[in-house]
Amino acid sequence: MVHHHEQDDVTVREIPQLRYAAIGWLVLLLVFAATAGWELRMRTLGLRAGDLDDTPVHWAVERKKLETGEHDGVVIVGQSRILFDTDLDVWQEMTGRRPVQLALPGTNSRPYLVSIADDTDFRGLVVCDIQQETFFGKFLGGLPQFVGMEKSWRDESPSKKISHRLGLMLSRRLAFLDDQYSLFSLIERIKIDKDRAGVDGPYFDVWKLSESFANRQYFLWSRIKSDDYLREHARAAWIPPGTNQRPPVPQDQIDEAISITVAAVRKIQARGGNVVFIRPPSTGPYLEREERRAPRTATWDRLIRETGVFSIHFQDYPDMRELELPEWSHLTREDAARFTHAYVAVLLDQYDGLRTPPVRR
Amino acid sequence: MVFNSLTFLVFFAIVLALHRLPLPWTAKKANLLIASYIFYAAWNPPFVLLLWISTAIDWTAARKVHESTTLARRRAWLVLSLAANLGFLGFFKYGEFLLANWQALLASFGVTYVPPAWNIILPVGISFYTFQTMAYTLDVYLGRSKPLKSLLDFSLFVTFFPQLVAGPIVRPTQLVPQFAAPRQATRDMVLWGLLLMVLGLFMKVVVADAGLSNVADRVFSAQGPVGFADAWLGTLAFSGQIFCDFAGYSTIAIGAALCLGFALPENFRMPYAAIGFSDFWRRWHISLSTWLRDYLYIPLGGNRGTEARTYVNLMLTMLLGGLWHGASWTFVIWGGLHGLYLAGERWIRSRTGVTGDPVRIGNRLALALLTYFLVNITWVFFRAETFAGAFRVLGGMFGLAGDAVAVLPTIFIIKAAVIVAGIVTVQWLMRNRELEEVVSRTPWWVTGIVLAAMLFAVIIAQGSGEAFIYFQF
Repeated sequence: MVHHHEQDDVTVREIPQLRYAAIGWLVLLLVFAATAGWELRMRTLGLRAGDLDDTPVHWAVERKKLETGEHDGVVIVGQSRILFDTDLDVWQEMTGRRPVQLALPGTNSRPYLVSIADDTDFRGLVVCDIQQETFFGKFLGGLPQFVGMEKSWRDESPSKKISHRLGLMLSRRLAFLDDQYSLFSLIERIKIDKDRAGVDGPYFDVWKLSESFANRQYFLWSRIKSDDYLREHARAAWIPPGTNQRPPVPQDQIDEAISITVAAVRKIQARGGNVVFIRPPSTGPYLEREERRAPRTATWDRLIRETGVFSIHFQDYPDMRELELPEWSHLTREDAARFTHAYVAVLLDQYDGLRTPPVRR
Repeated sequence: MVFNSLTFLVFFAIVLALHRLPLPWTAKKANLLIASYIFYAAWNPPFVLLLWISTAIDWTAARKVHESTTLARRRAWLVLSLAANLGFLGFFKYGEFLLANWQALLASFGVTYVPPAWNIILPVGISFYTFQTMAYTLDVYLGRSKPLKSLLDFSLFVTFFPQLVAGPIVRPTQLVPQFAAPRQATRDMVLWGLLLMVLGLFMKVVVADAGLSNVADRVFSAQGPVGFADAWLGTLAFSGQIFCDFAGYSTIAIGAALCLGFALPENFRMPYAAIGFSDFWRRWHISLSTWLRDYLYIPLGGNRGTEARTYVNLMLTMLLGGLWHGASWTFVIWGGLHGLYLAGERWIRSRTGVTGDPVRIGNRLALALLTYFLVNITWVFFRAETFAGAFRVLGGMFGLAGDAVAVLPTIFIIKAAVIVAGIVTVQWLMRNRELEEVVSRTPWWVTGIVLAAMLFAVIIAQGSGEAFIYFQF
């Protein structure tokens, strides 16, 4: 029992008499056995040690390279498509440069472009991912994920940096460390057949789609290709019932997106930098919805015309058209390498500077 | 660094190992002091300066108060300490709030004033250690204690890492004597301390962060009217979240201190089983409520004056207690509501002459539920970021949201209902019991299985090191 003294008395806590050694050994045994069992189960579900579970600190490490000059003159910005569809090793093999990968799932290129233009002195090549629906269609005022990352890396504490390093050590050895497969992520994904009208629960969210490795190298998770249920779930998350009824992106949003982009591009070009737009592949109902809501002619073509920058649209290159997209939006790991090879080859033809070795500050 | 981080795990293992080396006691205390500065610097290194300044000011002020022969000089040194401590708080915590209110006041007279941008980062835990150091000088001034002889002991009292940033707020008399003679935690103390740390981590990582936070977030971030069930579940989820977050922190703090051989006071005692509000405040954030009682309510006159004056003192104490939590009028309303509840209870008790709890269990249960209901109303103001947001949720709770749409999916409803029911049931069953007593009577293997389940849940819930809610206070 604890003795609760008045505030003026020295605190004393009585320690209960327990069989501590027996309890301690039992806890160690049970926790070890349960964790080992959980690890094995997660491995059977396709999780792997070495999949690093992207965190704001990973992003911060890459973002800081733009401040310190420790980069090879190429930065990639945008959303999950350019993130999953780019193989950084292929980039490096072909150009001798390893791009800084800043793309984030669920965002779009615009805020990065503005941030690079306004907040850095970057004079290299900015590779911008364009997905017509999102680039022109939403979050003109700022993206929550992007704003969160920006804040996070600027306010990063020494403690978070150390935890990040320790977390990496564990993630390289344990497969179950994946926040998409944490206890409550799994509980919340239990399907409730007749859920409340108008509410989308976590079952309908986007689940684990990717694996991530050093330098924020992402690839589409192999189970999305091999597992029918997960593939269909991912497709349903992209195109939920009724979303084909969504109206076209309003003209004023397209105008504003282009105007913001033109200003950012001019600023980067004025100090000697370059910007390139890339439209990675999509297919099936996803591509149909994109074309219906934000048609290429009204968005992409106009963006290229008004900015005047070099651009690569997958539909214009035969070797980029015939690639495999299991859930209509992202390439398989093998085809990400092919796509990267194809678009870097085009860039090498366009930018002589990519053929010369990078110079670091 | 936060307790629920890998950094803390390594840090604590190193500190514990160092503390158990056969070193002189002074060296061990110096180790603990350095470790405490590292613990604080891990958030933002320059803010350690604040700790040093705070320590230096109160160390000097308390000695001068004690040595001064005239009342005027004693008062002057006390005022210096209060001004410095409250000045820090005012600048870092309330600066933006004061400017915004000044701007609004001028605007009401038709004067346009645009304050400069306020980009000051709030030093974590500043409200806690400021109150702790102020208590030291106040105690010396009030003759409750003498100034300490050892600067090392005083610095460690101000900075002792387990309770530095979110309490329990300790008094010098509770902790400093423990620094006087060498203390070595026994094996049982270390293991009991570790058990408490696992319990605290479970409360924070599993229940508060993974179990309840997203339910409360969904409801309190809704932009439209919130329905009855959603509003109640969101609020109940927050009531569980804030308890498990804060009591979880205190439990880890107590456990960590115990592993090092030190005893910290209890900070929570089953508050959701309280019958009435004076009972609630004997169970919720005990170290703050007693601090406010001893250094604000009693110096204001407490209940020694007229009845009206007592009510005024009560309200003032609770309003300032509310403001202590954050620079926003919503916190003031939270404190004001608690002040009204306490005043109402006092008035009813004085009129009816009833002093203790009801005898019948049914009446006790009904009053406990009424208390819990009214406490939940206050949590709405505590959690909502704006009054509009608070009234949106309150409207739902009182069935006034006509065209509300559902915001919580069924799985969230099930999750929140199960967890909150579990928290309230456990608190009711443990209402008059101590954890130590319950565990002592439980078969060892049951304790082992429950503890293993908690630790395993902490591991697979994979907390991402979310900060504790009370760090911002």
